[in-house]
Amino acid sequence: MSLTLSVDGERWRAHLRSVAETHPGLVPVLKGNGYGFTVGRLARKSGWLGVDTVAVGTYDELPHVATRFDGDLLVLTPWRPFGAALEVDPALARRVVHTVGRTHDLADLLEAQPDARFVLERLTSMQRHGLSARDLWATGRMLQDHPGVRLEGIALHLPLAQGSHLGEVDRLMNDVVAAELPTHTVYVSHLTDAELEQLRASYADYEIRPRIGTSLWLGARDALRVTATVLDVHEVERGDSFGYRSRTAPKSGHLLVVSGGTAHGIGLEAPTGDQGLRARAATLARGGLDAVGFVRSPFSIDGKQRLFAEPPHMQASMLFLPSGARVPEVGEQVDVRVRYTATAFDRVVIS
Amino acid sequence: MTPGPSGTLLSVREISESEHLALIRSRSSASFLQTPAWGRVKAEWRRESLGWFEGEQLVGAALVLYRQLPKVKRYLAYLPEGPLLDWDTEDLAAWLAPMAAHLQRRGAFGVRMGPPVVTRRWTAAVVKDGIADPAVHRLGELPPTGRDATGARVVAQLRELGWRPQVAEGGFAAGQPQYVFQVPLVDADGKPRTEDDVLAGMNQLWRRNIKKAAKAGVEVSVSEDLEAFHDLYLHTAQRDHFTPRPLAYFRTMRDALAAEDPDRFRLWAAHHEGDLVAATIAIRVGTHAWYSYGASSTEKRDVRGSNAVQWAMIRDALAAGAAVYDLRGITDTLDADDPHVGLIQFKAGTGGEAVEYAGEWDLPLNRALYAAFDLYMRRR
Repeated sequence: MSLTLSVDGERWRAHLRSVAETHPGLVPVLKGNGYGFTVGRLARKSGWLGVDTVAVGTYDELPHVATRFDGDLLVLTPWRPFGAALEVDPALARRVVHTVGRTHDLADLLEAQPDARFVLERLTSMQRHGLSARDLWATGRMLQDHPGVRLEGIALHLPLAQGSHLGEVDRLMNDVVAAELPTHTVYVSHLTDAELEQLRASYADYEIRPRIGTSLWLGARDALRVTATVLDVHEVERGDSFGYRSRTAPKSGHLLVVSGGTAHGIGLEAPTGDQGLRARAATLARGGLDAVGFVRSPFSIDGKQRLFAEPPHMQASMLFLPSGARVPEVGEQVDVRVRYTATAFDRVVIS
Repeated sequence: MTPGPSGTLLSVREISESEHLALIRSRSSASFLQTPAWGRVKAEWRRESLGWFEGEQLVGAALVLYRQLPKVKRYLAYLPEGPLLDWDTEDLAAWLAPMAAHLQRRGAFGVRMGPPVVTRRWTAAVVKDGIADPAVHRLGELPPTGRDATGARVVAQLRELGWRPQVAEGGFAAGQPQYVFQVPLVDADGKPRTEDDVLAGMNQLWRRNIKKAAKAGVEVSVSEDLEAFHDLYLHTAQRDHFTPRPLAYFRTMRDALAAEDPDRFRLWAAHHEGDLVAATIAIRVGTHAWYSYGASSTEKRDVRGSNAVQWAMIRDALAAGAAVYDLRGITDTLDADDPHVGLIQFKAGTGGEAVEYAGEWDLPLNRALYAAFDLYMRRR
């Protein structure tokens, strides 16, 4: 009765292995819903991959990972002198690597925990978190007065590739050199393999550690399949009413009740990241359909995407199947197209 | 005026050549391209000695060459391998803003300079391995033996202040080379190295050739005979396919540099049984010694006059207390097929290191004129 993510384990593991082998120093990113797999499962998988460090998004995610992975835990959200950052389980303190994005936060962090391990994040063109070049230099000078501190590296969080990143990376790396920091480790994200290779070549005196999430866990798309279960089937004639809102059927056919609803993230429109005109037009069109009739659902039967008969419920959805189409049996599996990072699966089955 | 590094104001004004020279002498070294004498060598351009003042104290200097645009009375202000200022500052704007304002008042539409700061270094051994490795094409693909934080801060600040790096295609562009080869003559602690130590740093071929020249009876001495140098230099130009400079250029250079300081300019000649087999020009400013121009005969190559004359220049630089022996420009190519790689191999044979400078940077002062000039330079 579940929304299920089925994984072709052999292919998936082969992909994970190959990413790890071609990306020495890999830091797997496990955050949010764990890319659909849950962070706990990805933590165990990271241990299996043999990496020494994983990255989580927030301090609140630490407990889900800490018991399933033995190595270091890098927190991507910058440390702030308030909230969950101050409530880290003392038993974990030695394994946690904080991210520092403001000069005065570093002073506060060291005051709260003099032996804290941390990376310094350099602000990139993302303009999200991090230190400016001059902040980084100032921090470098500050660290010269604290020879004992545990600076573990520099972090660069780059935007998704739009052309080459190398110009920006080169400028950022120059700022790192200028800061004279007592570390030669740099954590980077979102570089293509070719860009990483170039960076490693020209900064071979630095240890470049790629932080990878999506292309690691979801990189082998054809090893992943999402299915829902047909829970019930009802024949309807034109004009029959059904559902919470007593809608009427526009023509004869079948109503299908399938597993998967709003609790899983089904039917919630997440921005696709596709900026094309077509994609935006499609979003508009879907909104328009809602007012006059049925909306396209992410469920497909025999390769054809089917319409929602009414808005999805918490754990199930109702689809409309016009007459003429093959009617699936109760218990049959149907395919669902989802955004993995926005879906909570009931079951993840790895073969 | 802008606030200076210590909170005071820095101002810029023209200074006399003697003030300029006094500032250079107060420092351990400066590029010879920044000496007042070099302005005399480049007589086709208007020149100016500039001084930076903190209050009444002279704290920096530059030789500015004004290169006129065709047809208009506007100039590119060019500061080759300069200016001479406190590059270690994190407030470069305090130095550069009053300079730019001054140059603009003098009719400059743009400024070009080559900050004399090092950004990266590679030892000769690393360079040699890079040439041998077919996967490596450029110096930048090799891990440097050292990076310089001061250089990196200069580069970051120039970008911040709107200066534009001039990318030298293939290494030898119109300006001064960004990559050079240098033999340090002092150790890491600043103590002078011995001749034996420098010799031991050279590769086997160089040591063998130096010995071979001595055995063959090559005699190296300081010479006054500029004509003889120039004859051999013309011969070299023809053989190696470069455009030679006229004898008058070298006369001006010798006269101007020697007038400034008797140690600035030195002509060296290597003779074998009365024949001139190699001749070179050495230049020194303070603790920095350069190998500037060289010529060699095609006959009698086996007596290794070139190696002998280089060794004599290195020994002379050591004796004069120099800290660096500079063989000047190399390209950044490490491709075994590139014709420039032979030059790098020759220079790397002396030991020492390939050195990357911050390169040349432009600041447009008049956007329209600068854009026109930039376009003209690209199409040339």
